[in-house]
Amino acid sequence: MPSPEEIKQRIEAAIPGAQAEVEDYTGGGDHFRATVTATAFAGRSRIQQHRLVYEVFGAEIGGPIHALSLKTQTPQKTPTQ
Amino acid sequence: MSNSEPSTLRDLPMSSGQPSLAGETPMSSEESNPIREAIEQAIDEHKVILFMKGTPEAPACGFSARTVAALQSLDVPFAAVDILPDPRIRQELSAISDWPTIPQLFANGELVGGCDIVCEMYESGELQEALQ
Repeated sequence: MPSPEEIKQRIEAAIPGAQAEVEDYTGGGDHFRATVTATAFAGRSRIQQHRLVYEVFGAEIGGPIHALSLKTQTPQKTPTQ
Repeated sequence: MSNSEPSTLRDLPMSSGQPSLAGETPMSSEESNPIREAIEQAIDEHKVILFMKGTPEAPACGFSARTVAALQSLDVPFAAVDILPDPRIRQELSAISDWPTIPQLFANGELVGGCDIVCEMYESGELQEALQ
């Protein structure tokens, strides 16, 4: 069973420059919520950003990690015009 | 595996010309994939289609429920497919969309996103535009 800390470390290790905050939001050890900030997201659509994070875990999503709720952003989050 | 045809294919919204697993399956099963074809056809034929756990009336997962709620509050008509009755639907859907989780919302043939993205777009006002 992955811990929030393990998930955080794996995201940060896999995506260059990423910072992740991960919480286990049901307390059950299989529903996680992550906010990931990374320069690597720049110029990518939300879907592409989420895919980058999902790819870190492959088939574990839907398996041991039942749910990984994501919020992705680039570091200097400027309001969209 | 069940030897009957997957019940959910009958529930796919486009199921009038029911793809029959039993009848017309050619020998080269690697090239023919009726479930995948049915999913692709459904995505193609419906302007807005949601693949979810359960039904809009009775969602079987909180993420599906939230996505349905966002769509309903925009008053957008949408087709819905329950992926639960046959695990192959989810497998094939994720292979098509390159997206691992359920729900998945498609508009105009394109993946809009899962619950997180749909809800974020709903809150920012982008969702309505994306579904037009």
